[in-house]
Amino acid sequence: MNFGLSEEQEMLRSAARDFLTDKCPKKLVREMEQDEQGYPAKLWQQMADLGWMGLAFPEKYGGSDMSFLDLAVLLEETGRACLPGPFFSTVLLGGLPILDAGTEEQKREYLPRIASGKAIFTLALTEASAGYDAASIQLSATPDNNGFTLNGTKLFVSDAHVADYLLCAARTGDRGKPEDGITVFIVDASLPGISITPLKTIARDKKCEVSFNRVRVPGANILGKLDEGWSVIQKALEMASVAKCCEMVGGMQAVLEMTVEHAKQRVQFGVAIGTFQAIQHHCANILTAVDSSKVITHEAAWKISRGLPCTETAAMAKSWVSEAYRQAVKLGTQVHGGVGIMEDHDMSLYFRRAKAAELAFGDARFHRKTISRGLNLQAV
Amino acid sequence: MDFELTPEEKEYQQELREFLEKEVNPGVVAETESLKGLGPHGKELIRKMGERQLLAPSWPEIYGGRSLSHIAEGIMFEEMGYFQGPWPLDGLVIGHTLMRFGSEAQKDKYLTGIARGEIEFGLGYTEPEAGSDLASVQIRAVNKGDEYIINGQKTFNTETHYADYHWLLSRTDPEVPKHKGLSIFIVDVKSPGITVSPLYTSSGLRTNEVFYEDVHVPKDNLLGEENHGWEYAGSAIGFERILWIGDLKHRFDQLVDFLRDDDRYQNIVNEKPWILDELAEIKTQIHIAALLSYKAAAVYDEGTQLVYESSLSKLYASELRQHMFNIFMQILGHYGELTTDSKWSPLNGWVSQEYVDSCRWTIIGGSSEIQRYIMALRGLRLPRK
Repeated sequence: MNFGLSEEQEMLRSAARDFLTDKCPKKLVREMEQDEQGYPAKLWQQMADLGWMGLAFPEKYGGSDMSFLDLAVLLEETGRACLPGPFFSTVLLGGLPILDAGTEEQKREYLPRIASGKAIFTLALTEASAGYDAASIQLSATPDNNGFTLNGTKLFVSDAHVADYLLCAARTGDRGKPEDGITVFIVDASLPGISITPLKTIARDKKCEVSFNRVRVPGANILGKLDEGWSVIQKALEMASVAKCCEMVGGMQAVLEMTVEHAKQRVQFGVAIGTFQAIQHHCANILTAVDSSKVITHEAAWKISRGLPCTETAAMAKSWVSEAYRQAVKLGTQVHGGVGIMEDHDMSLYFRRAKAAELAFGDARFHRKTISRGLNLQAV
Repeated sequence: MDFELTPEEKEYQQELREFLEKEVNPGVVAETESLKGLGPHGKELIRKMGERQLLAPSWPEIYGGRSLSHIAEGIMFEEMGYFQGPWPLDGLVIGHTLMRFGSEAQKDKYLTGIARGEIEFGLGYTEPEAGSDLASVQIRAVNKGDEYIINGQKTFNTETHYADYHWLLSRTDPEVPKHKGLSIFIVDVKSPGITVSPLYTSSGLRTNEVFYEDVHVPKDNLLGEENHGWEYAGSAIGFERILWIGDLKHRFDQLVDFLRDDDRYQNIVNEKPWILDELAEIKTQIHIAALLSYKAAAVYDEGTQLVYESSLSKLYASELRQHMFNIFMQILGHYGELTTDSKWSPLNGWVSQEYVDSCRWTIIGGSSEIQRYIMALRGLRLPRK
């Protein structure tokens, strides 16, 4: 077994880290929290020029033909930097689902534009019930001439306010199990009838309400097959969950480093507070959170990059890392004492993001349910 | 053993509850939830309480109290928390220390004003280099005979921007062991040379840096004897440290009512069966936290020496707080992420604010590490290093 990155991956990591340290300082992160758009267009273009959006796309679609594991390395760095903007949404909630389920035509239409930074995507999935199960999808898509008419409201849609396209999960059929009769549509966000309202959230991460009022979408814009969209969603959620874990691992690593540094520098009672056993234990606990999260996240990302089934591993990763990150920022804040709770300390950036990440794509309990089903203990 | 309140305590509790239910208006609640300190509505409320001798029930009647027990004092803090009254009210916290160690002139000057809700105190302990290591306070008070001249800086002094007086722990003797050279002064916040500069926490709570530049303080404002400040601070901190859980009880009740009544959430308990188990545990913990706080207050009534009881109260209640608001966030899922002014926010978004705010409670008022240390050393007599 080998738990380390390849030389190329190490180079990718250090190049990404240098770039983000320079171009995405925490001052910018804070400005973008208050900014309506939420990211600087210049930074977005620079990332596209570096090939970040298309990293895991085949070359024929404008990508770099790298693996999900390579993308995972990049995502760790974006998590560390608290990168603002629709990078995660565009790649994980747009690009990779299209790569996975799109027709050749759709891939040629959208992937190169994503890779060049010219198209921003997101996924409109959750509705008022805020759940990630199939039954939660109620937004209706009724057949209409050559297309479908969408009616309903999506909530907590990341970056919808800047998206060019929304992958929208809608209900096209109502017979049988809730998993049947779901269709994913690629929806042009500028279509009449779409109304987008930004929501104010704890992580200030530009989640939106998106209402669809008789929005007409062509039949050619179905991603995957009619009524068979649930498997597209599931695959997308699996990858997005693991990708979110990568961001969380990156954030956790930053928290660990900041905290250890503080423990070495802060003097009270005549010594560095890192001398005290309580502080040492807190730091060791953060390290435990980091390393345990890394191994499961890397395994899940590795499996995805090898095309191996990873439903249970992804569930393990998301459930574990969700809790680990929360605990890590909690301990990191605690070690920092009074300064760690202040608005202008970097710790608060990670703290708020940790909670949003914990809840994204299903929280820990949601994913543990997936794992527990595999125990075959429940009465049918 | 007796878990009942005395008839006087019950009567006080009843009167207080009726008053607060009637008088705590949305203006008061908005100020409390804003975390910006005592505002005009809050001031009005505590003044009215002062008129009715509701603010400092355990103080002697001559100072505006009712000569009731410290349990009654606890009832005051708990009910204020439950009804979302203004907090903290540090004059009430330091009152007993002032009674014990202050001069007659000081007691006459301040105590009645505090009990009547007419004057406010702000604690002045923490400095950039004196957090957990409070004895390392450096702000320097030089004795000039009939006055002291004070220079230095405080930080995380949360009440100073609305207080009338600063309860200032400062160094009067730099030559002796640290804790033996400290004194407490009562300083008029409007004294020339004092600058109060705001700081904000990640939950939006306003606190302050306070700068002293050649501030002249009359010697009559020294509390007790020079260089005995550590002992006086210890006495005040012991009582301040007790954490009252009225506000946690209130938030718990609000959330449960919400889950029961709100249309959107009718199914949530069915969809997430773990909720009932978690809520049952939290309810139990809130109840125990209340008992622990009263137990610590009871030490003062018994006149025995406080050992670790207030540390345990603080530790237990602050960690419970963090756990509770985390569970609430998990119950609400994505909705919990919405902040106060979101259209879809349940409960006006207080859950996410309380969650972010909950972090500081294991740090302020003596960190959890310090409380455990006190429990280990004083409670369990484990050896000092």
